[in-house]
Amino acid sequence: MSASSQAQTSVRSFTKSLSRRHPKGKKGRTVSSGFWFVLPAFIFIFIFMLYPLVAAGYLSLTEYNFVYDDEPKFIGLQNYADAFADPKFITSLINTFVFGFFYFVALMVLSLSIALLLFQKLRFNAFYRSAVFVPLVVPLSLAGLIFVWILQPNFGLLNYLIGDVLGMPSLTQPWLAQANTAMGGIIVLALWATIGFVTVLFLAGLQSIDKDVLEAADLDGATGLKKVFFVLLPNLRETYVLTATWGILQALKVFVEPMVMTDGGPGTSTLVLYQQVYITAFNFFDMGYASAMGYILGLIILVLIVLNFLLFRGKAGRDG
Amino acid sequence: MIKTPLLSRLLSHAALVVLALFFLAPLIYILLSSFKPTEEIFAVPQSILPMNWTLDAYREIGGGRVGQYFRNTTVITLSSVILVVILSSLAGYGFAKLPFRGSNLVLLAIVGTLTIPLAILLVPIFLMANQVGLLSTNLGLILPNVAVTLPFAILIMRANFLSIPLEVEEAGIMDGAGTFTRWRLIMLPMARNGVVLVTIITSYNVWGEYILAKTLAMNPDSMPLSVGLTLLKGEVWDYGLLAAVIVLATLPPIIIFVFFQRKIVDGIAQGAVKG
Repeated sequence: MSASSQAQTSVRSFTKSLSRRHPKGKKGRTVSSGFWFVLPAFIFIFIFMLYPLVAAGYLSLTEYNFVYDDEPKFIGLQNYADAFADPKFITSLINTFVFGFFYFVALMVLSLSIALLLFQKLRFNAFYRSAVFVPLVVPLSLAGLIFVWILQPNFGLLNYLIGDVLGMPSLTQPWLAQANTAMGGIIVLALWATIGFVTVLFLAGLQSIDKDVLEAADLDGATGLKKVFFVLLPNLRETYVLTATWGILQALKVFVEPMVMTDGGPGTSTLVLYQQVYITAFNFFDMGYASAMGYILGLIILVLIVLNFLLFRGKAGRDG
Repeated sequence: MIKTPLLSRLLSHAALVVLALFFLAPLIYILLSSFKPTEEIFAVPQSILPMNWTLDAYREIGGGRVGQYFRNTTVITLSSVILVVILSSLAGYGFAKLPFRGSNLVLLAIVGTLTIPLAILLVPIFLMANQVGLLSTNLGLILPNVAVTLPFAILIMRANFLSIPLEVEEAGIMDGAGTFTRWRLIMLPMARNGVVLVTIITSYNVWGEYILAKTLAMNPDSMPLSVGLTLLKGEVWDYGLLAAVIVLATLPPIIIFVFFQRKIVDGIAQGAVKG
């Protein structure tokens, strides 16, 4: 590469054109070429995400059975009204919240605890970290099959451990055939599959805390739990906003776990909202109603994410 | 890092060993079971270690649909990853180094899509795919998979390009190279960490993708592993075969993880903190 001195000026004007304050500088063409770099990716995202988002919004206002109807028929907000009078929808909504609550709380507490454990100078730290993370790369539906096997009442691993290894056969259960333990099994699988990710985020948050803060705490004699509660946790607020947003999303869009493990059963005890959307659309072909329920799910997620953000961002701002 | 006294260190080790066991046991159990003959799998009480090691379950895979599932997953994953890497490194560069009017708005829209549950989009995507005849085809899964994995990939690539100092590009500018040439010859090689990370994360996501496949691959011949295997469960409950296939389907992602784990874990942490 040869460097010529007269090019210096063009470098300077290029630099200038990059700064956002002068988007229409002399080198306007360089600036707008960014558009062409973004366009191909944007086309994909537009066709498969942004357009469907709007299309589903319209469909949710129509009655449209894919098999019987030629065209969607506009019916206003009827689908939304129907949903809240539909016992199956209400059941799936409640189940989603039950799953979401236990999953979310356990996810936050366990991930944070594991991150704090890994934040110490321990031997085998790298091994522990990998062990926690590895389930994340296992396809979730296959992990579901593994858990179905482990929870199988006759030759599953869990009942074998409880009954034969620990010698307490009275505690063995048909795990996935009872409402409460089936929901429990789904929650455990979801935790197994995702704790690693949130732990890594918390760990990164802990590692980004200013070293001076930690040293000052040491000098003040803050140790153990005191240090955790008064020094580490207050400094993790931003990380929490991030992990909680992710956790809320994961919690409410649960789908694969009950699909693979229980099919919503026994009865409707593990039927979740996402599943109800899927079944309505692709087993009953009621596209309009399914879109409306999908939109309700999306709105719930949006509200909770915004609430969480406002709650914790606000506090961080007040504390300086 | 916290310095801790001996006793609490021991307790920490105990807790972490239990946790490691919880996370690894299901995988190890399936691996061991895949080497058991059928009668041992159904034996009560069972033995965790196979008593007679056998490869019968793996021999069974050869025939039938499972081979087709593997082919579909491989084709879909490879094609999606190639497309996502190209598209996200173009877009990431555009956002990081060549802001245009409205680029912040476009970026915001793309980030916003990360919070949309696929459940909302499934119906319109299904109707579109039906209209253009892409249901039950590999292409019909590649295209939406690319779209769904792009937003996060773009964020990673954007962060990578942002961290490259401006001076690096100057040599190219002095040579009079156009933006595309500079992107290809100078910037892309500099952002190879991002490319590696995007490749790995996209492979994981597409390899195990379930929801789109469950909706759009209706014909068993077009199904990827993630969906096809869940049918195996219903058909025969052939646990030996199931274990062997799960092992083979899980091995590629785990091997990649073992080789790249530092890069993956650090990359995700940094991307998340910066993003």
